[in-house]
Amino acid sequence: MTTTPAAAPAPTNLRRVPLAKRFLTLTWMIIGLMVAALVVFAFVQPSITVDTLVTGGMWALMAAGLALVFGVMNISNFAHGEFFMIGSLVAYFVFTPIQNAMLDDPSGTTLLKIFGPFAGMIAAVAVGFLVGAVLEVVLFRRLRKVSKDQWVMNTFLLTAGLSVVLVNGDQLIFGTDFRGVSRYWDVPPVRIIGTSVSVDRIAAFVIAIVTILAFSAFLRRSQTGRAMRAVAQDEAGAQMAGISLNRIFIITMGLSSALAALAGAALLWLYPSSPTVGQQPLQLAWFVVILAGLGNVQGAIIGAFIVSMLQTLSVYYIGVGWVDVLPTLFLILILLFKPSGLFGSEVKGVWEQ
Amino acid sequence: MATVTDMTAPTRDEAKAFARRRVIFAIVLVAIVLVLPFIPPFTGQDYQRFLVTGALMAAYAVAFDFTAGYIDIVNFGLAAFIGLGAYTSGLLAVDYGISPWIGMVAGAFVAGVVGLLTGMLTLRLRGMYAAVMAWFVGLALMGLVRNVPEITRGSLGLSTPQLLNTSDNLPYYYVIVALLLITIGVLMMVIRSKVGLAFRAIGQNLAAAKASGINPTRYLVINFTLSCAFAGLLGGFYAHYYGILTPDVMATSHTVEILAVAYIGGRGTLWGPAVIAFPLMVITGLLQAQLASMPGLELVLYGLLLILVMVFRPSGFAGMVTSLSNRLWPAPAEAPTASRPTP
Repeated sequence: MTTTPAAAPAPTNLRRVPLAKRFLTLTWMIIGLMVAALVVFAFVQPSITVDTLVTGGMWALMAAGLALVFGVMNISNFAHGEFFMIGSLVAYFVFTPIQNAMLDDPSGTTLLKIFGPFAGMIAAVAVGFLVGAVLEVVLFRRLRKVSKDQWVMNTFLLTAGLSVVLVNGDQLIFGTDFRGVSRYWDVPPVRIIGTSVSVDRIAAFVIAIVTILAFSAFLRRSQTGRAMRAVAQDEAGAQMAGISLNRIFIITMGLSSALAALAGAALLWLYPSSPTVGQQPLQLAWFVVILAGLGNVQGAIIGAFIVSMLQTLSVYYIGVGWVDVLPTLFLILILLFKPSGLFGSEVKGVWEQ
Repeated sequence: MATVTDMTAPTRDEAKAFARRRVIFAIVLVAIVLVLPFIPPFTGQDYQRFLVTGALMAAYAVAFDFTAGYIDIVNFGLAAFIGLGAYTSGLLAVDYGISPWIGMVAGAFVAGVVGLLTGMLTLRLRGMYAAVMAWFVGLALMGLVRNVPEITRGSLGLSTPQLLNTSDNLPYYYVIVALLLITIGVLMMVIRSKVGLAFRAIGQNLAAAKASGINPTRYLVINFTLSCAFAGLLGGFYAHYYGILTPDVMATSHTVEILAVAYIGGRGTLWGPAVIAFPLMVITGLLQAQLASMPGLELVLYGLLLILVMVFRPSGFAGMVTSLSNRLWPAPAEAPTASRPTP
C-alpha cells in the first residue's frame, strides 16, 4: 500500500532537505494560504471563518472515514453519504422525544438540556457502527471471495447499488419529508470575534475536533489502531503477525460509518434528515479524499478544511449554485500538477494499476 | 501428443458453427426487438412507451459498457454527457429552429469534444481517480446548466420540439431501435478492429499493453470520446422524445441507473446490457404504474439486483447465457465470444 492512515513514517532523507525548501512546496503553500485566509477573514468577514471551521470539521469526519476504509480495506465507498443520512435519522428519532419532554416540562432538569443532544449523537454513532459492521459481514466479505482483480472498482459499483437501495428504502419507509430540529441547545448565541455564533455551531466544531483527536490517538496508540495501520500497509504481513483480518475489517468499516453518522447527527440542525441528505456530504467527502490523495487520513482532515473554505467562499461571493462548479475547477488544476493529490505519495500501490 | 491438441483446439468446422450460431442468435434478437410492438400486450401505447425507454436505456448501457467493460474506466459522469447532447440539440432547435435530426448530430459532436477534453485531463490519472474525476466533471456540468437559467431555463425545464410529427410511440420506437443498432454496430466494429484489440489489452493488463508499445492514454481517450459522443447522440433523442429537459437528466442517479443495467447485463459484452435493458425497463415501468403509492420501490429492487449480481454473478446476464449455450452446444476450447473473463 502506498498510503497509511495517520503517521506515515517520514522518509529518512527528509532531514537533509533545508527547512525553507521543505515548506516551499505547493501543498504547504496552499495550507499556508488557507490559514492566512482564515485569519484575515476573522477580521474582515468573521462568518466565513466560522462557517469554514464548523463545516470543515464535519467534512473532516466524513472524509477521514472515507479515507480510512480506502486505506485499510481498499473499499471506495459510494454509500458513505448514506451513513450520514442514517446518523441524522437516528439522531432525529432519539432527540425529538427528548425535546418534547423538555418542552412539556420546561422546568425539567438542566442535565437533560445539556446532555439530551448527546443522546441522539451517541445513538447515531452506535447505529452507524452496527450498520457498517453488518455491511462488512454481509456484503464485502462475500464480494472479497469472488472479486480479486478489480476489487476497488467493484466496491465502488457495489456501494453505488447500496446507496440506491438505502436512499430509496429511506424514502419508501419515511417518505420525502424533511425531519430536522431547529436547534440542539436552546440557549442564546455567543459573540465570538465580533460575530454571533450559535452554540450548536460551537458544539459541532468542538465535537469534530475532539473526535478527530481521539481518532488519531486511537490509530496511533491503541493495539487495534496499530493493527489497522499494519493491515493498510501489508495485509499478508499483518496476518503473519497474528492479526485477524476479519476483525480489523469489521472494526474499520464500523468506525468509518460511525464517523459519518456522527457528522449527520451533529449537523441535524443544518441538514434536516431526508432521503437525499447524504448526497452533498458524499460529494464533498470524495472531493476531499481525491484532493488529499486516496487513503490518506491525515491529509483528508486538512483537505476537509481547504474544501470547506472553497465551498464557503463560493457560497458567499458567487452563489449557492456554483458550489459544484468552482471547486471542481480548482481540483482539476491541482490534479494537473499533483496527480496523486496534495498529500499523496507518488509511489504506485497495487490498487492503482 | 497430437490427439490431445486435436481434442482441445477448435477445428475449422467447430469455429464456423460457433460463428454461425452467433449470427443466428443476433438475427433472432433483432427480429424479436423489431416485431415486439405487435405482440400483445406490447401493442398498447403504455407498453410501447416502456419499450422506447428500454431501447434508449439499452443504447445508454452499450455506450457505458464500451468504456467500463473494455478499458475498465467507469465513466461516472455519463449522464452529464447525455444531458450535454440533449441540451445542445434542444437549444439549437428552440433558439435557432434547427432540425432535431441535425441537432442530435451536433449534440453528439459537443458531447464528444467535451468528452475528449475531460478524457485528456482525467485519463492520465489512475483508475479510481479517473472515475471520480468524471463524476466531478459531470456534477460541474450539471451545476453549470442549472446556473444559467437565462439560457437553459434551469430547473423549470426547457420544452423542446418533438422529433417526429406524432404522439404515437411506435415511430419513435423504430427510430431509437435504429439508433441502438447503429450504436452497437459502430462500437462492435471498433472493438473488432486493431484499436479494439488495444482497448482489450489495456483493460486486461495495463503493464503488458505498455510493454507491447501501446500508448495507453491515447487509446483511453479515443474510447472515452467515442462513448461520450454516442451518449450525446442519444441525449438528442431523449430531448426530442420527452419534449422537456431539466438538469435532472444529468444527475448522478441517472448514471447509476445506466451502470446498474450495464452490470446486470454483463460487462464487456455490449449485447448483454442491450438485451437486459428491455425486460428491466418494462418491469420498472409496470412497477411505477402499479405501485404509485410506493415511489422508489423499483429503484430499491434495481439496487438489490445490482448488489446480487456483483456478489453472486459478476459476469451478469451475458455470462449466464454464455455458460448455458456452452452447456447446450459444447463450445470450441477457445470460446470466441466477445465476453472477457469475468473480473
